[in-house]
Amino acid sequence: MNNNHPADSDFEDLYENAPCGYLSVRPDGRIDRANRTLADWIGYPPDDLPGMRLSDLLNMAGRIFLETHVAPLLRMQGFFDEFAIDLLTKTGTRLPAIANARERRTDADALLFTRLTIMRATDRRRYERGLIDARKESDELKTALEERLRQERENAELREQFIAVLGHDLRNPLASIAAGARLMLKTKTPEDALRLEAMMQSSVGRMAKMIESVMDLARGRLGGGISVSKAITAIEPVLDQVVAELSAAHPERGIETHFELETPVFCDPARVAQLFSNLLGNAISHGAPDLPVRVEASAKAEMFELSVANAGAAIPEEARKRLFQPFYRGKAHGPAQGLGLGLYIAAEIAKAHGGSIDVASSEAETRFTFRMPLEGALRP
Amino acid sequence: MSVEFRNNVQVRGRGERAMMFAHGFGCDQNMWRFVAPAFEADFATVLFDHVGAGRSDLTAYDRGKYSTLSGYADDVVEIGRSLRLKDAVFVGHSVSAMIGVLAAIKDPTLFERLVLVGPSARYIDDGDYVGGFSAQQIEELLSFLEENHMGWSAQMAPAIMGNPERPELGEELTNSFCRTDPAIAKEFARVTFLSDNRADLAKVKARTLILQCSEDIIAGQQVGAYVQRNIPNSKMVVLKATGHCPNLSAPDEVVAAIRDFV
Repeated sequence: MNNNHPADSDFEDLYENAPCGYLSVRPDGRIDRANRTLADWIGYPPDDLPGMRLSDLLNMAGRIFLETHVAPLLRMQGFFDEFAIDLLTKTGTRLPAIANARERRTDADALLFTRLTIMRATDRRRYERGLIDARKESDELKTALEERLRQERENAELREQFIAVLGHDLRNPLASIAAGARLMLKTKTPEDALRLEAMMQSSVGRMAKMIESVMDLARGRLGGGISVSKAITAIEPVLDQVVAELSAAHPERGIETHFELETPVFCDPARVAQLFSNLLGNAISHGAPDLPVRVEASAKAEMFELSVANAGAAIPEEARKRLFQPFYRGKAHGPAQGLGLGLYIAAEIAKAHGGSIDVASSEAETRFTFRMPLEGALRP
Repeated sequence: MSVEFRNNVQVRGRGERAMMFAHGFGCDQNMWRFVAPAFEADFATVLFDHVGAGRSDLTAYDRGKYSTLSGYADDVVEIGRSLRLKDAVFVGHSVSAMIGVLAAIKDPTLFERLVLVGPSARYIDDGDYVGGFSAQQIEELLSFLEENHMGWSAQMAPAIMGNPERPELGEELTNSFCRTDPAIAKEFARVTFLSDNRADLAKVKARTLILQCSEDIIAGQQVGAYVQRNIPNSKMVVLKATGHCPNLSAPDEVVAAIRDFV
């Protein structure tokens, strides 16, 4: 054997040229000794390392981790294994590594130094970083998928209701038109024919309204929201028109109005009329028949506010939450009632105007209030 | 659910006065294992884990509440009230120094004295103020922490259980050293290192001792001196101990300094 070659039992050589880095740190945090392997990896002459602080070889994240995690655990359990650490090379590049650390203490428990074994782990650390990123990505994907699934379920449910409602509710006026047509053949007098024609017209009107509502639902829920085309509108005649229409349809019911409309409103007049008509129609159908429906509207400062109030039984708390959902109908609905889309559509119209509809209901009154901000809305 | 259970509150010792110890980011009440026992003869010592750390009730973790140090300070106040503390001593390490400052402001009757170990009112540099860190370094830290929490629960338990060097760390400590849910640890790190409590310092009424380490890279001398200058009735003692955790590396020096003060 050639004497110039180190023997396998030469521990000095094993230390210096081990396949891992060795580092001993004194209690004051300064490096006591480092082996040649480590010095080579981080590009320092071996003699430069003793005396440097361990933290000089770390970036800020590593230093904080060392102080807040490694040092406390070392003191408490005497070792800390398998932690990731980035060493800074002399040129400032990063050497990703995995380290184990172990304290060496005297018999009297005084700390002599802390030994670190360092394994270069560039590929492994990159792989682990990839795993973390992949896990994050898959978590995000999972959340997105769950949300998508929830939406799809909701849409499917809506579609089912949609079909059921079309099948059920359109059949009644259709049957009445068919019956009218059959009877028409048997009419003896023009008066009878006119009466039948009026009845059939009213059924056609109901069907048209249902189809319109269903179209709005489709646009609002399954498309990108209810469409509005806004213009600066003198709102009072719009409201008066709706009141006049519903008064004509329900001459027996009193409607009291109180308007303070100081400024025009930037809105879609046809849609606001539709919203108002839905609220007023509901108040007339569900309110106490012997007491008037009260309408208040104000447009001033920064808010357009329109409220419709009726007397009668309060809406139960449970029902209040579901009022604005499509196809929601109160318990006591007769054959002449709508599809349960009125409030849903009204709320969608409010939303399209940057506003909202609130409901307050007590034994004294039930009040629906539409509010939309004026300042932003008035700016075309 | 009781406050004691939520924060794993441990009361030991004898004495009329109470001394409450609060741990910082990265560990749990074990941080005080070499300091708190020294006061058990004269004080009722109160130790606890912040929610998310150690053996606290992880189900009590509320992202909203704990997105500010004020949420953690509310817990300290609740613990204090639940134990009917009055004119007690509060000893807070690292981020818990500021949590104690906030708690003492919220309820001035609880603590008559504060001991702030390695405090910083703000870690990130801001104009003329030197906190020691840049915002980017803190972001790096948050990302780096993830890489060190890869197998946290699977890895920590056996490492402590099969501990050959320190058999005195018995079964009861299994899994309890500095155990933190990684997601919570990351949020706690964010709250800790992004907080700014400089404006709160002047509101402290309690007498305050600042224990400052030599060569602390997390809270340097200038940071401790800033806290001292801005808390009205305060003094600073610079310890010979280096690093950020003198309560572990130089417990005797810490005990002596606290004893002098109380």
